[in-house]
Amino acid sequence: MPWVRQCFTIRGPLVQFTKNIRRSVLLRSGAAALALAAISAGTAKAATVTLVESGSSLLYPLFNLWVPDFTAANPGIQVTTTSTGSGAGIAQATKGLIQVGASDAYMSDALVAKNPTMMSIPLAISAQAVNYNLPGLNDKHIKLSGPILAGIFSGKITEWNDPAIKAANPGVALPAHTIIPIHRLDGSGDTFIFTQYLSASTPSWKASPGFGTTVSWAAVPGEIGAKGNAGMLAAAAANPYSVTYIGVSYAAKVEAAGLGQAMLKNADGKYVLPTPETIAAAANSVVTDTPTDERISFIFADGPDSYPIANYEYAVVNSKQPDGATAGAIQTLLNWAITTGNSPTYLDKVHFLPLPTAIQILSKTQIAKVQ
Amino acid sequence: MTIRPFRLTLLGLSLLIPLALAAVVLFLLSFSWQAIGYSGFSFITHEFFNMGGIDGDPVTVRGVSVPAGADYGILVFILGTILTSGIAILIAVPLSVGAAIFLAESIPDKFRPVLSMLVELVAVVPSVVFGLWGVAVLVPFIGNILGPAISHTLGFISVLGGGDSGGGYGLLAASVVLALMITPIIATTLLDALLQVPKENRESAFALGATHFEVVTKAMMPMVRTTLIGGIVLALGRALGETMAVLMVSGGGSNAMPSSIFSPVATIASFIVSQLDSAESDPTNMAVRALAEMALVLFIITLVTNAGAKVLSSGVLNNVRNRKH
Repeated sequence: MPWVRQCFTIRGPLVQFTKNIRRSVLLRSGAAALALAAISAGTAKAATVTLVESGSSLLYPLFNLWVPDFTAANPGIQVTTTSTGSGAGIAQATKGLIQVGASDAYMSDALVAKNPTMMSIPLAISAQAVNYNLPGLNDKHIKLSGPILAGIFSGKITEWNDPAIKAANPGVALPAHTIIPIHRLDGSGDTFIFTQYLSASTPSWKASPGFGTTVSWAAVPGEIGAKGNAGMLAAAAANPYSVTYIGVSYAAKVEAAGLGQAMLKNADGKYVLPTPETIAAAANSVVTDTPTDERISFIFADGPDSYPIANYEYAVVNSKQPDGATAGAIQTLLNWAITTGNSPTYLDKVHFLPLPTAIQILSKTQIAKVQ
Repeated sequence: MTIRPFRLTLLGLSLLIPLALAAVVLFLLSFSWQAIGYSGFSFITHEFFNMGGIDGDPVTVRGVSVPAGADYGILVFILGTILTSGIAILIAVPLSVGAAIFLAESIPDKFRPVLSMLVELVAVVPSVVFGLWGVAVLVPFIGNILGPAISHTLGFISVLGGGDSGGGYGLLAASVVLALMITPIIATTLLDALLQVPKENRESAFALGATHFEVVTKAMMPMVRTTLIGGIVLALGRALGETMAVLMVSGGGSNAMPSSIFSPVATIASFIVSQLDSAESDPTNMAVRALAEMALVLFIITLVTNAGAKVLSSGVLNNVRNRKH
């Protein structure tokens, strides 16, 4: 039964694979040190350091835009990018298997307490839309709130013409049809920020199921679990009367599929769409409160214009690197990412926003700690 | 004593595979030991699975550190695994028996290699391709056409939807995708066996005045029954462990037992792969251990089905022998 063994040892080869990568990185950085010595001895020979970035599938497209331009500008540094998921990014960076972990969520207090040298460094700002497929209403931007969405995803609100939804949308002809909630099956930063919004706005959701990259979803009749943002989009497009949450980097595809985009109720009771202005307003509302380790959420942020589901996209990096060449390369990469990499040339393609200046300074201070 | 390098090498090589298997089982056991102790027997009898607040501070329950609210029950996934594979076998067996008989009996010899190669080709299609086909074609078909048709006509039977056929993702979609994946496995195994039935048996049956149908069902099929069961076991093996294709079309039901063929389901394999990433950010590591325990349960399920099939096929074998005497 080879498939049985395959099924159980799938992580074996993976770990081995990443170990090999790390070994080659070590070898190369060793070679880099030698080459540096050679340079100081007067030989002008290019040294190469290889960095491995892995994690968030939301950040992956952005890293893919960044890397060719970054390596062109910095020929001594090679960057390998992979998309494995935020949890894997954090875990592998903590174990030292990779140099840069990409994550939609900052490391939790418990994880930081366990690994005090690990830092969460914001690179850019992302947001999430709540999309729906309501025949005839997809161009109307219906209004939804945290408690309404919590009701839908916990099975307490099952019809589109439920009094709570009607009250939020006076004058809109809501259909008497069962709501099909679609949630992510795989662990995801999108689930993390969506359930954070529900937890922050709805006490009963905070009590259970709470928030996380995966949560214990209540069984709702008709619900669908889909894999990845692409799966969410396909399921929503194929199922009229569905509602789902999709990262803004998919905005163009969501629009092409003809889905509706909901206005969400923020902490000030206003309904807002995810636009550059409302997302920036949310980010700006926490600038002064952001601690030096930059682990802060601006989900359900205060302010009349703040969009409620926006977040920092993080690089998770160990401040203690095995050698100076690797540390230097990480610093160069991350500093490039939050300056040149934050220009609209890159961010507009994935609908991300640049870091506010004050946050950029905090990120630079953290990056300088990588030794 | 003479040293026989050749024999020793062969012995070493042949021991490698069982040793690797034993090592995997031992690893799973030792790695998941804490989770086994934490959940106890309720792990397989309880239908709620909750990793708890893996982003919050861990709490200490029964002497071990776990995320607050962690509660691991996998009955839903055990049932999902058995149901998807079982229905897949029910669909695949008649299809593949028919295909094998057709290929063995009803086409000229010169076309057989081409057609049987086509069937074998289906067996090597990567599962993610089946999954994509499932998402793009099968799920909308079940959701818009087949599902409503079944639930409107036979909806009074609750396992056929009870009038509600959902959006297409679910038990039926997963089973059909699995059935397509395993049909060529059974069909090719059976075809090889059918082609090896001695010519004399066929010809004597024809000589006795049997119709073509009787020749196939009475003279040939009894001789290949063991092989058929062997093929089904192989196929079941693939179906029970299939991950990606199931994950893409099953709808991933959790915390509720499937109530109809349209209910969203999750299998053990698909659930492990979908939750591993989140489990890795659990500071107590208990979530990963619980997933390892699930893998152990899947392993036991496959062992039991394989052993069962072995007993079944040897029993059938004896029957055939007895009949001959």
